[in-house]
Amino acid sequence: MAYTHDLVADCLQFERAFCTAKCPFNLDVRDFIGKLQQGRFNVAYKAYQNAVGFPGIVTALCPEPCRLVCPMKDAGGAISIIQLEKAAMKFARNQDPDEYNMPAKNQRIAIIGAGISGLACALRLITRKYPVTVFEKSAQIGGHLHTLLPAEVFMRDIDRQFSRENYDLRLNTEITSLSALDFDAIYIATGKNGTDFGAESSSDGVFKGGSLIGADTMHALAQGLNAAGTIERYLKTGIMVLPEELSGTKLIADAIEITPGEAVIPANGTSFTRDEALAEAKRCLKCSCDACVRYSPLMSYFKKFPRRITEEVEVTIHPSTLDGNGTVATRLISTCNHCGLCKEVCPQNIDTGEFLLQSHRAMHEKGAMPWAFHEFYLRDMDFSNHEAALTRIPSGYEKSRYLFFPGCQLGASDPRYVTESFRFLTERFPDTALMLHCCGAPAEWAGNDALHQEGIEKIKSDWITLGKPKAIFACPMCKQMFEKYLPEIEGEFLYNLMDEEGIVPIGSTDRATASVFDPCASRNEPSVQKTIRDLAIRSGFELEPLPMEGRLAGCCSYGGQVAIAYPPYAEHIVQAKIEQSENPYITYCANCRDIFAAAKKPVWHILDILFGLGNANRIPPTVTECRNNRLLLKQQILNSFWNETEIMLIPDFMLLISSELKEKLNKALILETDVYRVIESCEQTGMKLFNLETGSFSGHLQIGNTTYWVEYRINLDSGYELLNAYCHRMKIEEA
Amino acid sequence: MPETRKMICCKCNKELEMIKTDFSYLGHSFFTEVPKCPECGQVFIPEELARGRISEVEMQMEDK
Repeated sequence: MAYTHDLVADCLQFERAFCTAKCPFNLDVRDFIGKLQQGRFNVAYKAYQNAVGFPGIVTALCPEPCRLVCPMKDAGGAISIIQLEKAAMKFARNQDPDEYNMPAKNQRIAIIGAGISGLACALRLITRKYPVTVFEKSAQIGGHLHTLLPAEVFMRDIDRQFSRENYDLRLNTEITSLSALDFDAIYIATGKNGTDFGAESSSDGVFKGGSLIGADTMHALAQGLNAAGTIERYLKTGIMVLPEELSGTKLIADAIEITPGEAVIPANGTSFTRDEALAEAKRCLKCSCDACVRYSPLMSYFKKFPRRITEEVEVTIHPSTLDGNGTVATRLISTCNHCGLCKEVCPQNIDTGEFLLQSHRAMHEKGAMPWAFHEFYLRDMDFSNHEAALTRIPSGYEKSRYLFFPGCQLGASDPRYVTESFRFLTERFPDTALMLHCCGAPAEWAGNDALHQEGIEKIKSDWITLGKPKAIFACPMCKQMFEKYLPEIEGEFLYNLMDEEGIVPIGSTDRATASVFDPCASRNEPSVQKTIRDLAIRSGFELEPLPMEGRLAGCCSYGGQVAIAYPPYAEHIVQAKIEQSENPYITYCANCRDIFAAAKKPVWHILDILFGLGNANRIPPTVTECRNNRLLLKQQILNSFWNETEIMLIPDFMLLISSELKEKLNKALILETDVYRVIESCEQTGMKLFNLETGSFSGHLQIGNTTYWVEYRINLDSGYELLNAYCHRMKIEEA
Repeated sequence: MPETRKMICCKCNKELEMIKTDFSYLGHSFFTEVPKCPECGQVFIPEELARGRISEVEMQMEDK
């Protein structure tokens, strides 16, 4: 997918830290301080030495531009990187440079000027085994360092860094013309007001740097180090163009999570002890943009940034081997809750969730997504759109101003949520129509475009038949789906309408201090978020905020219907969400309510409170009860609002199941109707097994792609008694 | 196979025997011995097998 490259092009994951971007040497401070944080002073020193060439000179003269941009400067004090550099030197086991065993090079290089820039260039080149001749017109090396530091200070460092390698030093040798020099490359570093011999910077093999071209001491040193790389590249490739200089950083201060902490001051007034250095290093935030990994449950759980995710998804959709080996991200693609939080917190608005949704579609189109991840939910959607579906306009009306679209999960949780809401609406707006139908989210999450489109078309044609009414939503996810796929349908939240109509909440007898859990689909719906809080307060609740609410609303785990693809992840999300506060929750999504309630979290749906329907500890329905509730709702609606009393929709069969077994079936997402189908099939075909030890029958049936097994007894009085049921995805190739 | 219970095929009135049986999932084929009627081929997959080895292989195939 071409989308991949666009997606992560703006990602700031690898942007340099603010301090690094200001450092003349481009010191990787995250790496340097990371080593110090682990107490690895020696390797930290090596990294520093490698970056600056002359550590003693740099720690003595660096004006610390990093301090000005450190985000900690207003949170206890900028990190004293220079003191940490000194500590790295002080506590390193060995300050001597490493000796490299490399083949000697043939190309000869001349350096004009033995100031710090020329010496830095020479140091790098001789380390790489180039023969270097340094011409210096005066009688000493060091150039303008003599005006800045006592000679013994910088000479000690210079002598140490050159202790492994030799170069040809020509003191008292003034060069007057480059034509007299027979070298493969020349670096001119003749210092402030020095001569450049009229050389153009583009002259073949001639390079200039340092104070000669206006650099300050630190940049002169850095340019000398960099010139060595440029010269080597020229010698190898003939390319004279200087490599593009790194400049600045796109890192954004808002993306950094700041933990304030007082700066560590050396007790002796001059330098850190080892412990002081460790304490100061640990204050460092090692600035990088990791907002997505901090906030997105998917990225934090898998510890993967968008770039890594896109790479893994790419090879999964386009595997490099014919048998599909290497499809590493199949389960990851199916584990996104599509809550939108990653995009919300990303300073670059990178929408990894949308990318994973598109990837899911691509996998579905290829037939490469395991059917098992979504089959249960798609069958459930099919049930909602057929057996449990209903679209009606009140008798006597041909058109409606409003259409109540409660969503399939609201009535599944408790049919009264829908009947009471519809009653409220029809009492005020008697022409309000009702549509019991799925919004299409399960098909979207499964990447099944054709099925999704089918559902959308059905909703659209029914809506047109009803006179294009304004849709009233109880479920934030349904509203989000309509806005995305049916933008022509104007929508409003039920709760906002109730508020406008002045609903008087009945309240809850066990009201208390509670927290509102905003469903993830309400992220961009501040008005309903406020309404829910207003209604809860008017119902007698005291509210306390959650760490993640409003625009940071997180998914309860239901989004994307990931529980089959990755059960431990779904469980992890539920626990994380309910542990945000010890308060009971108030929410306005039936899925959030039932998922938290199943995890024993006291939670109300706002309709529980407004209509006085239930307490916070109501046990959520099983998967079978969800379906029965939908049928019950349809029956009650037809009965109460359309006077159709003869309808009996709930399947009634003689099947005895213990409460423990019901719980087991629920956890395994096995419907009691499916269990009954298997038993009926066994009895009708005679294809069943008898267990001599237990006196029970066993048999199986493939429904959809899933094979269900039952163990049961036949009781002449009460029908069948289910003893056990389980299922598997693997198909039995029976002869 | 740990299964020790004696299972009788109600159609053929035969005791099940451990017989090689083919399975498939996500385009991959496998075979293993499971209790099977020697006459009509009706099989029995005990819960331990379904939730154990079969489930493991299913997950491997899904991640392949």
